[in-house]
Amino acid sequence: MTDTIVEIKNVTHKYKGAACNTLDSVSLSIKRGETLLLCGASGSGKTSVIRLINGLIPHYYQGTMTGEVTVNGLDISKTQLYELAGVVGTVFQNPRSQFFSVDTDGEIVFGPENIGLSPEEIRSRKEEIVSQMNLDKLLDRSLFELSGGEKQRIACASVAALLPEIILLDEPSSNLDMDSMKMLHDIVREWKRQGKTVIVSEHRLWYLKDLADRVICMENGAIVREWTGSEFADLSGTETKNFKLRPVNINEHYLALLSDKEKEGSIDHHFSDGIRLKDFYFSYHRKPYILRKREFTAADGDSLSLCIPKLDIPKGKVTAVIGSNGTGKSTFLRCLCGLENDCTGVIASDGKEYRKKHRIGFSYMVMQDVNHQLFTDSVEKEVLLSMKDKDVNRCHEILNTLGLLEFKDKHPMALSGGQKQRVAIASAIAAGAELLLFDEPTSGLDYAHMEKVGELLHGLAESGGTVLVSTHDPEFVEECCDCTLRIKNGRVVSFEESR
Amino acid sequence: MDNNKLQAKDFITIGIFTALLFVVEFACGILGFIHPYIVASYVIMIPIVGSVPMMLFYTKIEKFGMLSIMSVLLAIIMFVTGMGYLGAPLIIGAGVIADLIAKSGGYKSFKKTVLSHGVFCLWICANYFPVIVTADSYRKNLVDGGYSTEYCDNLFRAINSKTIAVLLILCFVFGVIGAFIGKAVVKKHFEKAGIV
Amino acid sequence: MALKLDPRTKLFMIFIVSAVVMMSATTPLLWAVRITMTMIPIFLLIAEKHYAAALRFIVLYSAALLISFKFLSENSKGFLSAFLVGYCSIIVQFMPAVITAWYVVRTTKIGEFVSAMQKMHVPDGITISLAVVMRFFPTIKEEYSSIRDAMKMRGIMFGGGNVTDVVEYRMIPLLFSCVNIGDELSAAAVTRGLGGKVKRTSVQELKMGGADYMLILMFTAALVFFVVFKYMK
Repeated sequence: MTDTIVEIKNVTHKYKGAACNTLDSVSLSIKRGETLLLCGASGSGKTSVIRLINGLIPHYYQGTMTGEVTVNGLDISKTQLYELAGVVGTVFQNPRSQFFSVDTDGEIVFGPENIGLSPEEIRSRKEEIVSQMNLDKLLDRSLFELSGGEKQRIACASVAALLPEIILLDEPSSNLDMDSMKMLHDIVREWKRQGKTVIVSEHRLWYLKDLADRVICMENGAIVREWTGSEFADLSGTETKNFKLRPVNINEHYLALLSDKEKEGSIDHHFSDGIRLKDFYFSYHRKPYILRKREFTAADGDSLSLCIPKLDIPKGKVTAVIGSNGTGKSTFLRCLCGLENDCTGVIASDGKEYRKKHRIGFSYMVMQDVNHQLFTDSVEKEVLLSMKDKDVNRCHEILNTLGLLEFKDKHPMALSGGQKQRVAIASAIAAGAELLLFDEPTSGLDYAHMEKVGELLHGLAESGGTVLVSTHDPEFVEECCDCTLRIKNGRVVSFEESR
Repeated sequence: MDNNKLQAKDFITIGIFTALLFVVEFACGILGFIHPYIVASYVIMIPIVGSVPMMLFYTKIEKFGMLSIMSVLLAIIMFVTGMGYLGAPLIIGAGVIADLIAKSGGYKSFKKTVLSHGVFCLWICANYFPVIVTADSYRKNLVDGGYSTEYCDNLFRAINSKTIAVLLILCFVFGVIGAFIGKAVVKKHFEKAGIV
Repeated sequence: MALKLDPRTKLFMIFIVSAVVMMSATTPLLWAVRITMTMIPIFLLIAEKHYAAALRFIVLYSAALLISFKFLSENSKGFLSAFLVGYCSIIVQFMPAVITAWYVVRTTKIGEFVSAMQKMHVPDGITISLAVVMRFFPTIKEEYSSIRDAMKMRGIMFGGGNVTDVVEYRMIPLLFSCVNIGDELSAAAVTRGLGGKVKRTSVQELKMGGADYMLILMFTAALVFFVVFKYMK
C-alpha cells in the first residue's frame, strides 16, 4: 500500500446548468495521516474538491466531469456512495440541516445502522465515541434544543462512529462562536493524533494554524498556491489579503475580547448625541398571570435573560455586539427591534420615545439566514415591499448604491449568498429605520465579502444610521467596528471604543 | 446503476413534502373547529393551498412510487394521530392511481399532472369517514335529546353518506384548479429562481 | 417509575380506540367502557410525567361530557345551546382518539417507532420517509417562526389585507428553505451510508413486557365487549 490516500488527477468539472467550470484541471495528492487545509474565496472550488473526495460529485450533484479520483484505492466514479460510507466521512457547514434524527443518540448511531452493523457492535462504538469526545452531557437530548456548536459536535461524533479513514470538514466553523471553534480545534487535533487523514475547507483560518500540515489555496477552480504548515502560520495580514483570505494571525486583543476571557470593563459611557435604551428587561419564561400580563422589571433579577436598565449607543457608528452563543446577544437584538413584544424597553432618540410595537419602524433587523426574509419574485419588488410610499426612483437609487441594479428583475433566490444578503440590506434601508441591527452578517463569508459588508455598514453609519452588529469574527471586529459592546448572561459587561 | 429504483434522496424528498402537505392539512384543520361547514370546505382549501407544495413535489418526481409512498405515509400519519383508518384504502388507492396517471405521462406531461393531482386530492375525503360513520347514531342522540330534526339535519347537511359523492367530485375539481394555481406559483417563484 | 410500553402496543391501542370512537355509546354500560378506555391513556400520560397534558385532557373531557349530558337531558332549544352541544358531543366522541394519539406521539421516540416498523417488516423506503416526516415537523416550525419574525420586521404580517399574499409570503420562503434543507440533508445522509443494499439495523431493541400484554388484552376485551353489547342485544 502506498501512503497516498487521495489522488485527484487532472479533474475538470462543471455543474449541470452552470455557465463555467467549477474545477479546472485540478490535481492533488494527499498522504495518509495528513491534515490539509483548503482555503480560497467563495466559489473558488473548495467545496467541489471536498465533494470529489466524498463522491457527491459525480454521484449526487449532476454535471460533466473529466479526470480521475482515487480514494483509499477505490475509483470514485465506479464506487457507490454507500460503499464509501466507512471510508470517507463528511461534516458539513450547516448544523441545522445535516442531521437526520431528532435526538442525539439516534444521530450518533445513524451511520452504523445504515451499514447494517449488529446492535451490540453499534452500542460499543457509540460508547467509545461518547467517552472519546466527552458527549455524556449531550446524550438523550433533542437536537433542536442544542446550540450550533453542540450540533456540530454531534455531527462530528456521527461521522466518527463510522470509523472513516478520511474525514472531510466543509466550512465547519461558519456558524460557531469562539468557544465552539476551540472545541472543533480539539476534535481535529484528536483525529490527527489517531492518524486519520483530515481535510478542512475553511474561511476562518486562525484556529487551524497549529494543526495544518499543508495548506492549499484555490482561486477560480484551480490551485494557485501551496504552503507548508509552518509557512502558513507565519503569514502576515498583507500576504493573506493579497490572496483574498481572512487573516491567519489575529490581534491578541480581539481574540481575548471575543473569547470571553477579557476582564469586565466599564459600562458607564455617555454620549450627548446617542440613542438611549431604558429598562430593557426580558425573560423567555413568562411570569404567571391571570388577567393582566405582568411586565418584567429589574426586581426579577437572575431569572431575566436580558437585563439592561440603561445603555447609550453612539449614533452614526458601527457597534459590534459580542459574547458567546446563548448569552443573550440575539435576545438583546430581538428585544431592541421590537420582535419580543413582552419586553418593556424604551428607545429614546432626539427627544422621542419608542416603545413596544413602535420599536419596529424605528429599528430594523437583518436576520442571519437571509432565505427567510425574501418574499417576492423580483429584487425590485422586494425593496418596494419595505417602502410605505413605493417610490420606484428611490428604490433604484438604493439598488444602485449596493450594486444590485442590474439584478432588479431577477428572483432574489436566484442570486448568490452575498447578493441575497445585500438585497436584505437594501430592504432594510428602504424601510427607513434609523437603528439598523445585523445578526451575524459575516458568518460563512469569505474575506472579500466580509470586507464588503464592513464597507456597507460604514456607509450606513456615515449617512446617519446607527448600526449594531452581532458577530463572532475577531477579524471583522478589528477591521470594521467602531465600538464593542459585550454581553454576558443578558447583561452588558463592557463597552469600549476601538478607534 | 438502477435507474428505476427510488434512491435515498427520493425518500427524503417524499418525507419533506408529506410533512409540508400535512402541515397544510393541519392548518386548515384548526379552522375547522369554528364550524362544521368549514370542515366541509376542506375540499376547497386543502387542494388549493396544498397545490403549491404538491406542484413543486411533482417537479421532483421521476420514478414510479413517490406518490404512492406519500399516500401510504399520509394514511399512517392519520392513523397515528387518531383520525381513524377507515379512509386508508381511499388515500392509498387515490395515491396509486394518481401515480399511475402521472407515470403514463412520463412525469413530464402537464395534462397528466393536472389529472393526477385531481385524483390525489381525493385523499382529503378520508378526513370525513369517521364523521360519516358516526353521524347517524350521533344524530339520533341529538334528536332523542330534544333537538329539532331540522337543526340536526342542518349540522350534517354538508357531510353525510349522501353528500360524500359530491365532496369527492369537489375534491377532484378543486384539485384540478389547484394544479393550475400551483403550477403558476411554481413558475413565478421556483422556475424563475432556477430551483427546478 | 415510568411505565415504558412497546411502540407496537401503543399502535394497537390507537387501532382499538380509533375503532371505538366511531361507535357511539348508547347505554350507561357502554358509556362506562368508553370512559374507562379514555382514562387509560390519561393514566399512562401521568405515569410518563406529562402531568399538564393529563390535567388538560381530564378537564376538557369531563367538561365536555357534563355539558353534553346536561343539555341533552334538559330538552333545551335555542341556537347557542345547540351549538355548544354540537361542539361538546364532537369532543366527547373523538377525544379518546386524540388523547391516545397525543400519548403515543409524545412518549415514543422516533428511533423506537422506526424500529417497531422494521420489526413489522415495513419496507425501508417507507420507514426512512416517515422518519424524515417526523424530523421535518419541528424543522418546519423553526423555519416558520423565523419567517414570521421577518414578516413582522417588514410589516407584512397581513399582506396588506390580501389573502393570497398572506399565504404566499408564508409559504414561498418556507418551501425554499425546506427544499434547501432537504438537499443538504440528503447529501449528509448518503455520505453516511443511507440507501445501501444492506438491510438497516436498529439499536433500539424492542421487547414486549407484562404491561404490554395486559394492555393489549384489556383493549381487545373492551372492543369485544363494546361490539357485543351494542350490536348483539
